[in-house]
Amino acid sequence: MSERDFQFTRRQSLKFFGAAGLAAMAPSVLGMGAARAQDTPKGQIVVGFSQEPTVFNPHLLHIEVDEGVHFAIFDPLFDVDAKGNFYPLLAKEVPTVENGGVSADGLTWKVTLRDDVTWHDGTPFTAEDVKFTLELLVNPDFRSWRRTGHSLVRDITVVSPTEISWRMESAFAPYTAILASTFIVPKHGFEGADPNNAPFNNAPIGTGAYKWKQRVAGDHIELEANPGYFGDGPYLERLVLKYIPDITVLYTQLKTGDIDVLALQWISPDNYEEAKTLPDRVVEVFGAPFFEGLSFNLQRPQFKERAVREALYYAVDKQTIIDALYYGVPQATESYMPRESYYYNANLPVQEYNLDKARALLDEAGWKPGSDGIREKDGVRLAFTCSTTSGNHLREQAQQFLQQSFREIGVDMQIGNLPPAVMWGDHWMLSQFDMALAGLSCLTGPDPDTSDYFLSTSSPAKGGNGQNTWVYENPEVDELLKKGGALVSPEERLPIYQRIQEIMRHDLPFLPIFQYANIRGYKTGIQGVEANINNRIDTWNVRSWRWA
Amino acid sequence: MTAASSSPALRRRFRDNRAVRRFARNPLALLGLFMVLGLTVACFLGPHLLPFDELYIDLRARFAPPLTGAHIFGTDPLGRDIAARLFHAGQVSMTVGFLAMVISTVIGTVVGVVAGYRGGWTGTVLMRLVDAFLSFPSVFLLLTLAAFIKPSPMTITLIIAFTSWMEVARIVEAEVKSLREREFVMAARMLGLSNGWIMFREILPNVMGPIVVAATLTVARSILMEAYISFLGYGIQPPLPSWGNMLNGAQQYLAAAPWLAIVPGLAITIAVTGFNFIGDGLRDALDVRSHNG
Amino acid sequence: MARFLIGRLWQSIVLLLLVSLIGFMVLNLAPGGPLSQFALTPGMTKEALDRIAEQMGLNRPLPVQYLDWLWKLVQGDWGRSFRDNRPVLEVINSHLFATLLLMGASTFLSMLIGGWIGIRSAIRQGSAFDYAMTVACFVALSIPTFWVGLVAIFLFSLRLGWLPAGNMYTVGDGSFSDILVHLVMPACVLALVNVAIWARYMRTATLEVINQDFVRTARAKGLPPRRVLMKHIVGNALLPMITLAGMQLPTLLGGALVTETVFTWPGMGRLFLDSLGYNDYPVVMGLLMFSAILVLIGNLLADLLVAFVDPRIRLE
Repeated sequence: MSERDFQFTRRQSLKFFGAAGLAAMAPSVLGMGAARAQDTPKGQIVVGFSQEPTVFNPHLLHIEVDEGVHFAIFDPLFDVDAKGNFYPLLAKEVPTVENGGVSADGLTWKVTLRDDVTWHDGTPFTAEDVKFTLELLVNPDFRSWRRTGHSLVRDITVVSPTEISWRMESAFAPYTAILASTFIVPKHGFEGADPNNAPFNNAPIGTGAYKWKQRVAGDHIELEANPGYFGDGPYLERLVLKYIPDITVLYTQLKTGDIDVLALQWISPDNYEEAKTLPDRVVEVFGAPFFEGLSFNLQRPQFKERAVREALYYAVDKQTIIDALYYGVPQATESYMPRESYYYNANLPVQEYNLDKARALLDEAGWKPGSDGIREKDGVRLAFTCSTTSGNHLREQAQQFLQQSFREIGVDMQIGNLPPAVMWGDHWMLSQFDMALAGLSCLTGPDPDTSDYFLSTSSPAKGGNGQNTWVYENPEVDELLKKGGALVSPEERLPIYQRIQEIMRHDLPFLPIFQYANIRGYKTGIQGVEANINNRIDTWNVRSWRWA
Repeated sequence: MTAASSSPALRRRFRDNRAVRRFARNPLALLGLFMVLGLTVACFLGPHLLPFDELYIDLRARFAPPLTGAHIFGTDPLGRDIAARLFHAGQVSMTVGFLAMVISTVIGTVVGVVAGYRGGWTGTVLMRLVDAFLSFPSVFLLLTLAAFIKPSPMTITLIIAFTSWMEVARIVEAEVKSLREREFVMAARMLGLSNGWIMFREILPNVMGPIVVAATLTVARSILMEAYISFLGYGIQPPLPSWGNMLNGAQQYLAAAPWLAIVPGLAITIAVTGFNFIGDGLRDALDVRSHNG
Repeated sequence: MARFLIGRLWQSIVLLLLVSLIGFMVLNLAPGGPLSQFALTPGMTKEALDRIAEQMGLNRPLPVQYLDWLWKLVQGDWGRSFRDNRPVLEVINSHLFATLLLMGASTFLSMLIGGWIGIRSAIRQGSAFDYAMTVACFVALSIPTFWVGLVAIFLFSLRLGWLPAGNMYTVGDGSFSDILVHLVMPACVLALVNVAIWARYMRTATLEVINQDFVRTARAKGLPPRRVLMKHIVGNALLPMITLAGMQLPTLLGGALVTETVFTWPGMGRLFLDSLGYNDYPVVMGLLMFSAILVLIGNLLADLLVAFVDPRIRLE
């Protein structure tokens, strides 16, 4: 319960590394599924989550932890590994322009499927299931969690049980990556049922390495090996996904051995030092594609001047926040782009913590201290409220620390935290906050495109549809985003997105503090647990987890 | 001048008062009074005696155990002095408790007096309302309210008051009902006094005993309630300290820094026990028959 | 009797309406809404959220939503959870056992211990034991339950390592003894407050009986003290305890909620907090209604039982 809101923020991290990803589409060994001696599944692994998976239909509106179940039960046509390489699962090969799967104009797609796959109930898997899935995603009566990309698909044709083709309304390069996170669901699972309430949604049938066994609501989900799995794995007789609602208890249970793998919501940074010394436990830090930052509402008169924002940036003691509060686990960043990304700009100016410079900047800009020591200019007091989700201890501590630093440069920051339902409702979406402390990802899917966040027309506060809640407006950025979106080649796109990062660093609509990093722990002897910044959840490759 | 001259007499009258004497003879009540007064004095004077500001963050001094240098109760995860925070939190928690008591007592008294005096349809409706609130697991309602209303000391106070006026209402209604037909009320009615006057000027003073007792117990309950809500993260928000929110993060550090949980918990226990002792002492002293049986 | 029941029924319906109205208003008048938790999903747009809100019927006028919800409730359809889309009653039902087990165990404990303390204090009225217990009860009533839970975890789990720090059973085990070990701490912590309540009531009740004529008669007849005690005192004092059991239900439910949080006990209390956190309005509403109904039934049963046990009381 301690990490109240960023539990909702880490859902989607699928990303491919532009050139690297597109060029290196050679099937990886992982998913080849070639004939090979496979051990009989044995033993069990208990994976501990601090949120409860509750949505088992992968296409309904869901949160990140739900995908812990999806990856075990379902397969996409193809997936993406830690290096950004796509590898086929239900498809024979990943469709590319080179192998003729995608036409040169990107408009016609053709996918060949494996012919040796059956659903958990014995029904053979065919192209009809793929067609059903793609249609379900855009079904107007279905509460589909994402339509981006899928809404461009037209004329889905089942050529044969193992071959399917469709046409795209317009070319959309990220669609490969989107398909890599689209789990195929069985057509026969929904027959005669409202897809929102189908019995399938609570007793899913997939093609994956593990079969649904049972769920004890509020406690755990039990999956069992699918001996007929077409790919690598499974190696375990049983997989238990245990829900423990408190990260402290979760950690205690890793120590006592009640859980074998401590996943999502992970180990709290203040336990990192101790965790490293635990016998027979592997504890590792891995990067996440989110950045922690202070977001300004640029409509507020206090924040209209860049000098004010820069002065506040000078007053952020990043290193102390990271070292003392987050125990040095995450790394300071200057960009919204994760450093693992191909598009990451490593040459941005590095922020400096310097209260004197902050004061000098404010003095220069004409913000003079009033009788109470708080600066003001033209009747505007440099006072504002900073809000975040109540109950997130580390963030609340950082907030209080910042409050003290800001006070020293004559800035009055009040803290007004809100319950999550209120914080991320209209308060955030319609830019009703002054300043917000939040963990954000501005990337839409795997693409470096940030149109939904940075375009001047994307502010809901001004009637826009995106999530430009800073109400940030810069014609150059608008121009660049349009240009970058029309280009396909990663090499051509690179300078554009690097330039955007430069501008954001200069304009400072938000003050980036650090890029998230999580700490995972598991018992020595478990093999296959692997970090993958391109996939959203620890269990992305659970099919190949095993005991040594 | 008059005040000065009348004060010895007043003091004597006070000392001779039967209730006061009874209260003074009750060791538990005195202990309670001592606990509450002691805590109040500590909370309001303490911050001036300590060399630390309750909000001052010193990350180098975080997690200092009790009796480290001048940090008598140690420091919290941000290196703030726990003693300073505890006393400040006491001001907040006790003020919330006290104000919630005032508000809920006023609501309860008004509802009780009107229901008891009017009786009939009005009385039935009001008392059914009281039953409704009473038979409801108030923690559920409290949390639902707190989770969706922007938390501030004022809203928390109101939420607590809103869920704790029923006991007073019920007690007052029973008392007023029994007084309604008494001679002095009849007389007042015959004199043509208005209902409002009769209710609040004639009857109410005779019900003050039970009200005072119930009010004291309500303070205890309100302090406890604030602790519950804030512990669950829906109450008073940091950096403003309250006893409840000091405990909020404590579970996480239970192994490494148990004093974070122990110190504020003790303060809550002392305060609540104190008010309960006083309430019980007052019940005996004012000869109010027990209503919770 | 029939009149009493019908009267009670009307009262209950009015109460339930009131509870539902308050709950609904609080949930829906607050800014934000059940979908705001998805706002930070990368790639999520206001448009997408608005579309889903419309599909779920969340953009209808509030009175319409309320009446729709109420009408379905009357027909036995409590709605579906926003989180896993299961019927609300099913969701509640799956958490009911854990809560009943915890409440049952702690009630049993507290009645046993509280009863013993109460009777002993009453018989030895004014003794050191009586006095010590009075003070102890006051303190027990004043300690925040969750704090006792924290201290207990610190002592018995972290320091001494005797008992598990949380949960209802070890994954993969779940045998009777396993559950019992997990049950000890939360049940005792929850019982603490109730021991005090029971002890105080039992003391009062026993004192009333002790001073009644028939007990004095029995004693005068020279019956052995223990028999007098068991037969008359306990028998008579049990009556108010039944009523009290009914009246204590809301307190017990509330206490269970907090205890479940501290010990990560998978019961209704934790379901409630989870549902609040995830803005699962149908489940929150369901739990509000369910607990209110539970309390009403508890009170009614207590009244009926008392009438049944004691022919002197007639329900009117």
